Amino acid sequence: MATEEVPRIGVFVCHCGHNIAGTVDVERVAEIAAHYPNVEFATHFMFMCSDSGQQLIRDKIEEFSLNRVVVASCSPRMHEPTFRRVVEEADVNRYCFEQVNLREHVSWCHMREPEAATEKAIDLIRMSVARAALLVPLEVKTVSVEPHTLVVGGGVAGLRAAIDIDSRGFKVTLVEREPELGGNLAKLSTLYQGNEKASDVIERMVLAARISENLTIMTDSEVVDVEGYIGNFDVTVKNNATDKTEKLRVGAIIVATGFQSWVPEGIPPYGMSLDVITLAQLEEMKRDDKLLCPSTGKPPKKVMFIGCVGSRQPGVQGHEHCSRYCCTAMVKAAADITEITDEVLILYDDIRTFGKGHEEVHRSAHEKFVMFSKFDRTKPAKTTVADGALSVKWRDILAGDNLEFHPDLLVLVTAMIPPEGVEKVSQLFSLTRSADGFFNEEHIKLAPLTTHTAGVMIAGAAQSAKDSTDSTTQASGAAAKAASLMARGEVEIESTVAHVLEELCSSCHTCATACPYGAISFDTSKKPEIAVVTEAECHGCGTCAAGCPSSAIIMRHSTDEQITAMVEAFLMPPPVMGGGDS
Amino acid sequence: MTVAGEKIVVEDRKSTDTALVIGGGVSGMQAALDIADQGYSVVLVERTPSIGGVMAMLDKTFPTLDCSACILTPKLSEVARHPNIELMTYSEVKSITGTAGNFRVSVLRKARKVLEDKCSGCGDCVPHCPIEVRNEFDQGLGYRKAVYIGFPQNTPLVYTIDSENCIKCGMCVKSCEREAIDLDLEDEEIEISVGAIVVATGYELYNVANYRRFGYGRFKNVINALEFERLINAAGPTAGNLMRLSDGKIPKSIGFIQCVGARDATKDVPYCSRVCCMYGIKNAVMAKELQHENVKKVTIYSIDIRAFGKGFEEFYNMAKDRFGIKFIRGRVGEVSENSRNKNIIVRAEDTTTGKFLEQEHELVVLCPGILPPKGLRDTANQLGLQLDSDGFIHVEQPASNPVDTAVSGVYICGCVEGPKDIPDSVAAGSAAAMRASITLWREGEH
Amino acid sequence: MTATVTISKEWIPRIAAFCCNWCSYAGADLAGTSRIQYPSAVRIIRVNCTGRVDPEFVLNALDKGADGVLVSGCHPGDCHYTSGNLKMRARWTLLQMAVEQAGINPDRIRLQWASASEGQKFADGVRELTEKVKNLGPFRRGWQ
Ligand SMILES: Cc1cc2nc3c(=O)[nH]c(=O)nc-3n(C[C@H](O)[C@H](O)[C@H](O)COP(=O)(O)OP(=O)(O)OC[C@H]3O[C@@H](n4cnc5c(N)ncnc54)[C@H](O)[C@@H]3O)c2cc1C
Ligand SMILES: Cc1cc2nc3c(=O)[nH]c(=O)nc-3n(C[C@H](O)[C@H](O)[C@H](O)COP(=O)(O)OP(=O)(O)OC[C@H]3O[C@@H](n4cnc5c(N)ncnc54)[C@H](O)[C@@H]3O)c2cc1C
Ligand code: SF4
Ligand code: SF4
Ligand code: SF4
Ligand code: FES
Repeated sequence: MATEEVPRIGVFVCHCGHNIAGTVDVERVAEIAAHYPNVEFATHFMFMCSDSGQQLIRDKIEEFSLNRVVVASCSPRMHEPTFRRVVEEADVNRYCFEQVNLREHVSWCHMREPEAATEKAIDLIRMSVARAALLVPLEVKTVSVEPHTLVVGGGVAGLRAAIDIDSRGFKVTLVEREPELGGNLAKLSTLYQGNEKASDVIERMVLAARISENLTIMTDSEVVDVEGYIGNFDVTVKNNATDKTEKLRVGAIIVATGFQSWVPEGIPPYGMSLDVITLAQLEEMKRDDKLLCPSTGKPPKKVMFIGCVGSRQPGVQGHEHCSRYCCTAMVKAAADITEITDEVLILYDDIRTFGKGHEEVHRSAHEKFVMFSKFDRTKPAKTTVADGALSVKWRDILAGDNLEFHPDLLVLVTAMIPPEGVEKVSQLFSLTRSADGFFNEEHIKLAPLTTHTAGVMIAGAAQSAKDSTDSTTQASGAAAKAASLMARGEVEIESTVAHVLEELCSSCHTCATACPYGAISFDTSKKPEIAVVTEAECHGCGTCAAGCPSSAIIMRHSTDEQITAMVEAFLMPPPVMGGGDS
Repeated sequence: MTVAGEKIVVEDRKSTDTALVIGGGVSGMQAALDIADQGYSVVLVERTPSIGGVMAMLDKTFPTLDCSACILTPKLSEVARHPNIELMTYSEVKSITGTAGNFRVSVLRKARKVLEDKCSGCGDCVPHCPIEVRNEFDQGLGYRKAVYIGFPQNTPLVYTIDSENCIKCGMCVKSCEREAIDLDLEDEEIEISVGAIVVATGYELYNVANYRRFGYGRFKNVINALEFERLINAAGPTAGNLMRLSDGKIPKSIGFIQCVGARDATKDVPYCSRVCCMYGIKNAVMAKELQHENVKKVTIYSIDIRAFGKGFEEFYNMAKDRFGIKFIRGRVGEVSENSRNKNIIVRAEDTTTGKFLEQEHELVVLCPGILPPKGLRDTANQLGLQLDSDGFIHVEQPASNPVDTAVSGVYICGCVEGPKDIPDSVAAGSAAAMRASITLWREGEH
Repeated sequence: MTATVTISKEWIPRIAAFCCNWCSYAGADLAGTSRIQYPSAVRIIRVNCTGRVDPEFVLNALDKGADGVLVSGCHPGDCHYTSGNLKMRARWTLLQMAVEQAGINPDRIRLQWASASEGQKFADGVRELTEKVKNLGPFRRGWQ
């Protein structure tokens, strides 16, 4: 820790093509940075993250014996790992790297004010240089990975992931809260992929799961507690039928808790008549070969579908998104029932039959004389009930006509929304959720399966609305992430943990009550007793350090001094040496 | 994750320790990484001089507009550096025999005439080369020499001499201090054995010139979407300055025409290309964003807007509400050129009002659909794979086994299975890696 | 050079912002990728969690001449470390009192929740605080 080396800082300002340089005067910024205290070298470059940019950093570290590196580019949330690796390759400790966010936090949000943006960039770099001077190298730690994965949720996605991990020779436990496996797919009749029976798919997968060697299935069960960290999670699973709990140690976790199909309880036309149902309810009737009007028990002659109910409704929390499965599922169901009905009509806004084979299903619905009418989602159709008979009025925006239909059965094609209990799952595994209410991935494009909680993956509808093909794809992918962890057997963890300075601890216990993880205990062999941090249990939030009245807790890589230095560099800039003014 | 260490030597490994990935686009790269991270070796064969695929050519990416190069570059170097991955760029698979656990693969390593272990990527040779040809990476909008890299992040960072255009003057040979150039190098065929195969050869764009009525190839200011991506890319032929090809002016009004070569049974492309709506919207937003003072009017002509993925509908709404992109629902009848100012006149029927429109744009961008990649039929034949009627690789049980082919030990990911966006291609890459690693594990046990 | 605050030009207040890495810093990233434009007055300091923010940091910033301070974290219940933000919220009341006692208008400090998907909300928060601080005028501008 106490390597008292004199900081020799290099500052590398990235153009990011136009992205930064189009707004921020990168040349000027780099020139000014060259004159900050401890800065030995400063430059600007087209793409810092490219191979040549990385080489530039390594070369300059060598040439100027740099021991601290500041890269002013994009968000550290994307490239911090990249640059940490680069400096390590040149023998600079990864914790002696500091990144300044000139893109997401400057050029992209102040595009119309190049001067103010440049000033802000100058300030931010000065702040990071001040922090960099106080950074200290930290030891990089590795922990072993328990060769056992937990899969939460036993729908198609959870089943796929569990079977794959088992087939790859690793131990896996599948926890499903319902008594049966299969999830939402088990409630469907036939799938739009090749008209396969949903029950065949589920049976095939459940059979594979049951005969596998390394797979333990726990139905009627829920995860109630998670402790630990990547490689070593201690999970408590409770069986809801028996109330018994069981503890498992797992190295990786895949969350595949799926969705629920929205029931527009209390929102007309739902509830106006027994004959207004959702597509999910229709699917169950179809599955059981009992497609009958609930009110009369007779087969419907005229059926009408309304698309996008509860989807694509901006302004309504958790409903702005497109639910992705429904257009295709709707045209499939409509085409299917033409054989047993007289008239089938679909009200839609856009028809989003985008996937492989989906247009064919769409076309077959047209060929089977399903009627399509485009309406304006913002001016919903008006449904009335008279003497038990439904009447729906709307405006067809292609023909420009006001139309009316009297369906025996009205099917609302409703949104996929997060399942019940999603809040609890998100808290258990520290997952954040996006605006649609589903779990956030680590990166929306290039890391769709991992999350910001190291060791926890997501797959299937838990990540966002999608069909089974896209769900099982993600599931196999998430399984690969878990398998990589287990196959390597060990993984690096962050060293950014709390540390108690014995001499300063006043035994007040503030920290122990503040710590969300119970990571602080007391060494009673000392008199007075002093606080000790169990590093493996510390997640590095820093709550203890902020609360400690004696300033006895050091947050590694986020010390009081490092934070204060940034504040002061911002507000009380040091005089610039050597006339940095351009 | 970072994995360090010495590079593997594939020839020394058992077939059941090694997988072959064909195609180095974003999905093939992901597949290679996820297999290699499990400790298996991977040979990644890419036809062009660099990995990266189409994503490397894109400017921004929907639905959050981060720049494509920015997010792709670290992946490129991760693949290049991974100790368990052997990159064979500028190479092609010639033949495959055998079965799961033991495929014999012969790979043609085209002569790049620059020694990979000597070239440092300095580019000193380039100014000396007298030959200039159109750069295919820039969709032919920019130029390159006969000794070239397609783009600055070319991975591996090694130059290539294109033998078709090289006149063997030897100027480059003399200019190279590292003596990395040898014009006499010849193609080489090598044999490797692998236990599992992932096919990730991506896609190709529909040739929009087939729609004569849209004027591509006849009118200079009608371009396709990938050309547009290169035009707004800082590393592209115009250094990111959006301009018309007829006169270099910044276009004030731009029209985007969707579904050109998609959802059109008369052109034998009945299926939806899945990404065009979104990349159309993305490019429309970027035009406004880049040139907010100049680009005043941006219109998208489409049938349906299929904003189905995570965050897509939100992005579509943002384009309408915040960026003021105008959406017109209707198939475009035809376009013509205003001979005076070379503007493009679009005639379309707005199907929501039934009105016929005639609008003049300074630039029109055609958004092409996605076709199976060239040579996919050959690859399929070598492996005994079936193709769908659309020409993509057939999957038997898409609901439960979406990356499995009819041949044991052979998996697919990305756009060879059908059009896909980047997140879906990446997820599929990981999935194919999982399935391939299961094959390696099982076959390795016996 | 850069730091001379001249009131004659349009005055841009100086606001220090502490953002937690998991929600608000990401929310600010999203504001950027969505090209949402907001006032350039803030300088963001990334901390792991709002629970890390010692009231001392806020007071010190004001003391050193910040015109305003923003603390932005995950919504209650969403904290990446389960409850750091609740600890921050508990401290906030005390902090507001301390600020007031020091004779500083408590409108100069702001605690807000903005998740990783709320780029707009983050930007709105910055805008609101900037406006307020602008109305209040520069704070202790004579430190030099
Ligand atoms: C009407 C309708 C028609 C459809 N038609 C098709 C179609 O034709 N083709 C197609 O591909 N897709 C179709 N889909 C979509 C398909 O149902 C989904 O893609 C698929 O079910 C997603 O699988 P999943 O495993 O991700 O989620 P789910 O099926 O929702 O499974 C999640 C599982 O997790 C369990 N769970 C949830 N929370 C917890 C917890 N806290 N602890 C433990 N377990 C938990 C649930 O009980 C459930 O078993 C349709 C959907 C609907 C609604
Ligand atoms: C104009 C445009 C804009 C787009 N914008 C976006 C966007 O903003 N966001 C988004 O998510 N998606 C976007 N996409 C889609 C995106 O390009 C694809 O999702 C992605 O490139 C698919 O990756 P892939 O690996 O499957 O295929 P590719 O990128 O096509 O990669 C395939 C690779 O295989 C190689 N190859 C081909 N045949 C062989 C062979 N026989 N042997 C060896 N190698 C071979 C090719 O050279 C290539 O490198 C866009 C597409 C277009 C056309
Ligand atoms: S898939 Fe179709 S019906 Fe479903 S929300 Fe999207 S557009 Fe609407
Ligand atoms: S930093 Fe957070 S997790 Fe670590 S000991 Fe302190 S309060 Fe606990
Ligand atoms: S071939 Fe020689 S001159 Fe050309 S880039 Fe490679 S090392 Fe440089
Ligand atoms: S991590 Fe965001 S407030 Fe705790």
